[in-house]
Amino acid sequence: MRPIPERLRVPLLIAAWLAVLAGLAAFALARLQVTTDLRSFMPAPQTADQKLLLEQIGEGPGSRLLLVAIEGAPVPTLAALSRGLAAALADDPRFGQVINGAFDATQLDPALLPYRYLLSPTLDSHRLDATWLGEQLEQRVEDLASPAGVMLKPLLASDPTLETLAIAERWAPPKAPQTRDGVWFSASGEALMLVETRAAGFDPAGQGEAIAALEAAWHALPEAASARLLLSGPGYFSARVSATTRAEADRIGIASTIGFLLLLLFAYRSLPALLLAALPVASGALAGIGALAGFYGSAHGITLAFGFTLLGVAQEYPIRLLSHRRAGEDALASARALWPLLATAIVSAAIAYLAFLASGVTGLQQLAVFTIAGLVVAGLATRYLLPRVLPPRFADAADRRGIARAQAWLERVPRPPWLPWLLALAGVLVLWQAPGPLWQDDLAALTPVPRELLLRDARLRGELGAPDVRYLLVLRGPDANSVLALSQILEPEGAALVRSGALDAIEWPSRYLPSIGLQRERQAKLPDRTTLEVALADASRDLPFRQGLFEPFVNDVEAARQLPPLTPEAFARSPFGARLAAMLFSADGGWTGLATLSGVHDAAALSKLAEASQGRVRVLDLKAASESLVVAYRERILQALGGALLLLAITVVVALRSPRRAWHVLAPMTLATLLVLVVERAAGISLSLFHLVALTLAAGLGLHYALFFERPVADDAEARRTLHATLVCVVSALLVFGLQALSSLPVLRAIGLTVALGVGFHFCLSILMARPRRERP
Amino acid sequence: MAWLASASAATPPEAAPLEPARLIASLGRDAPARTAFTEVRFSGLLDRPLIARGELEYLGPGQLGKRVDTPYREDTRIAGGEVTVQRGKRAPRRFSLSQIPELEGFLRGFGALLGGDAAALEKDFTLAASGNPAHWRLELTPRDPRLARRVSAIEVDGSGDTPLCFRTREADGDVGVLLVERLATVKLPPRPAPAQLENLCRGGKAP
Repeated sequence: MRPIPERLRVPLLIAAWLAVLAGLAAFALARLQVTTDLRSFMPAPQTADQKLLLEQIGEGPGSRLLLVAIEGAPVPTLAALSRGLAAALADDPRFGQVINGAFDATQLDPALLPYRYLLSPTLDSHRLDATWLGEQLEQRVEDLASPAGVMLKPLLASDPTLETLAIAERWAPPKAPQTRDGVWFSASGEALMLVETRAAGFDPAGQGEAIAALEAAWHALPEAASARLLLSGPGYFSARVSATTRAEADRIGIASTIGFLLLLLFAYRSLPALLLAALPVASGALAGIGALAGFYGSAHGITLAFGFTLLGVAQEYPIRLLSHRRAGEDALASARALWPLLATAIVSAAIAYLAFLASGVTGLQQLAVFTIAGLVVAGLATRYLLPRVLPPRFADAADRRGIARAQAWLERVPRPPWLPWLLALAGVLVLWQAPGPLWQDDLAALTPVPRELLLRDARLRGELGAPDVRYLLVLRGPDANSVLALSQILEPEGAALVRSGALDAIEWPSRYLPSIGLQRERQAKLPDRTTLEVALADASRDLPFRQGLFEPFVNDVEAARQLPPLTPEAFARSPFGARLAAMLFSADGGWTGLATLSGVHDAAALSKLAEASQGRVRVLDLKAASESLVVAYRERILQALGGALLLLAITVVVALRSPRRAWHVLAPMTLATLLVLVVERAAGISLSLFHLVALTLAAGLGLHYALFFERPVADDAEARRTLHATLVCVVSALLVFGLQALSSLPVLRAIGLTVALGVGFHFCLSILMARPRRERP
Repeated sequence: MAWLASASAATPPEAAPLEPARLIASLGRDAPARTAFTEVRFSGLLDRPLIARGELEYLGPGQLGKRVDTPYREDTRIAGGEVTVQRGKRAPRRFSLSQIPELEGFLRGFGALLGGDAAALEKDFTLAASGNPAHWRLELTPRDPRLARRVSAIEVDGSGDTPLCFRTREADGDVGVLLVERLATVKLPPRPAPAQLENLCRGGKAP
């Protein structure tokens, strides 16, 4: 084989490197599934409420409802659009029930029709005897002559007591808006709809897909351009918030990338060097994704977002290499000289992240796999690949005049040994006295929904009588029937709460399906054929009804006497089945029923009802349950971080082979982290998971500053190179995260502010505490 | 009446095709207007026709009242899109007209007819007129398919500016005949046949 010509080696190596990266990317794309369901990022639920929250509520009735309003056109147009949209969504598998008020009370599902005497409450207070039937039939004669007769005629022969209507009335939404032109309208003249998505409320991607499908169906309607479509609801918020967060993160990302590139161009005066310096981080990121694809096959979107943030440390590796090149030495030799320290930084970070693997939370384990693989690969690429492709011509950073002046100034800065102790003491005092709660447990506060959207949601929810998304009543029983029976017993108490104004409406599972006991009671009251025929003849003696008209009625009653009671399984196949299934399901070896509430004004009254039930009913506060989950999650992260810190300290001591030198590295890191907390807490900021991740990143960067400053150097030139590299790192980190700190979104602000502050403190304290005192010449 | 007289004087009745819009405009009443009514309903569910008597009230656009006196007492009011039905001493039943769009169209048409509002009527029905000013017939066919599924046509017979007979043909073959003004007080046999009522409406004479 002929040796590859010298001038082709570098381009070929670059091409091979890019090819490997492309292969990795292709593998990851094909294998890795990015999930967005928040539940897979959460720790295993501990309490019953948390379990219910994670297993059922994300799928539950309230969180999957989209509230739809159509406005800006005359009523007939809006009504036609509402009907058109409902028809378009009815066949879409992404949606369950679509209700817009267009509801034919005379149409009961054919599968349920035979059960009407068991489902309707009529027989609780009446019997199908001559008196009651006579009264009913007389009214039917009058109905026939009235305007409503046209509607009721088809029911008459089989259902003269209009049980179908009684059931429809019972199943109609507890607090329905007014109807105009056959569909729901708000007081301000918008057509209103309720659309149930199949995707869980916790699943922003699924919700996003459903919303896109809804909007596509809307735009396909002929008159859509003449009106406006407004959406609301938890799913819409989660999709919209993740979209705006991504849009702002992208904008900031572009601005900071441009700034970062300009900075590197200024620092190294070489475009090829700059482009090549991006390769190690790209390799690290792809290796991380590849590792996730290989080990797990799927990763949570949050894992990836946090992972990319933490991988920001790796950008330091090529910067160190570029800054530490010295005149007369090839890049490979510089890399070799730099490697022991770089390897120490990489290995200690990687070992620290091992603590995350032990956390028992899949999301955190994935984060560790991603970050460790990313850091190691980025480091190895910096050591073995980057030096071989860098252009041979470069400017030695030690020759920069500005750097020399900065170095000289730093040498003159006083470094009182008592200052760190004073800072630490003052910091602890401030932390003690800081205003506001220490932790921010409401994750929603970090990704806030714009106020006007919340107001609109509250208004639409009020008009539609849509269930509250915060409170639920949870009913427990050994089987479905006992839950239904309990629900029946509670119905009057719920009605009393509504009358007293504690809430606007309450929807019990037994509203749709009576318990088997109650169905049997009603069944027992149905007369046999002969008795009914005699009563019917008696009742209709003076009425003009055709002879034998009510034969279908007699047959249906006879059939209903023989029916086995309707079970939840059988009911599930009806159009209202999905509704009941969301309110009644088996869980934890028993059955759970959910009563949805709308317009809760007095949560204490609900608690009282629950207390009186001797544990069979609980009030579930979804907000409290999700906050308790966040708390549990944070505890796991704190434990993992504690473990990581311990591992890091041990690794640094071992690597430096000196506790004293390790102290010089670890002390500024620890103090800087403390000071970040002090500043944020003094400003009244409550800490969230995002702050913790950002603190971890800042500490990783601080480790580098301290390690490099602490390193004994041979000459002033090398000290200047260290300063140059560190300054480039600090300024670039300040640029990238400082821009994020200016964001309007609290989640980006939390990360940006924490990292930017951290970088500043780590840098200053490293200079103050890490650098060995040198004899002045 | 003066206009009608002059119109019929100017053009011979057989040569003047009646224009529905003009005819309807001439029917307009100043609210409130009242008339007694007799309603005969032929239904496949009944073995004899149902006869009810009472008073109809037109109280302005969108406002109608119907009071049944015999054979039972019932008071129906339609106002602001809401229907209230009060029967005997029972609590009144209320429902929103818009819950039943087909009924809404039907009653809107009825109101527009009494108000003489041809344009409004034209929105819900296709109109056709026949006969002459002394004996005319107006035929309303629903445009809305939902209404058409229940009601196939409404025929109004009248004379001059007075409607006398509203015949509602339902899609299932049932027919309701509403006799008003001077026909309301006509004496009917206990079981009138559809043909008898047809004659009555056509000729404006008692059977």
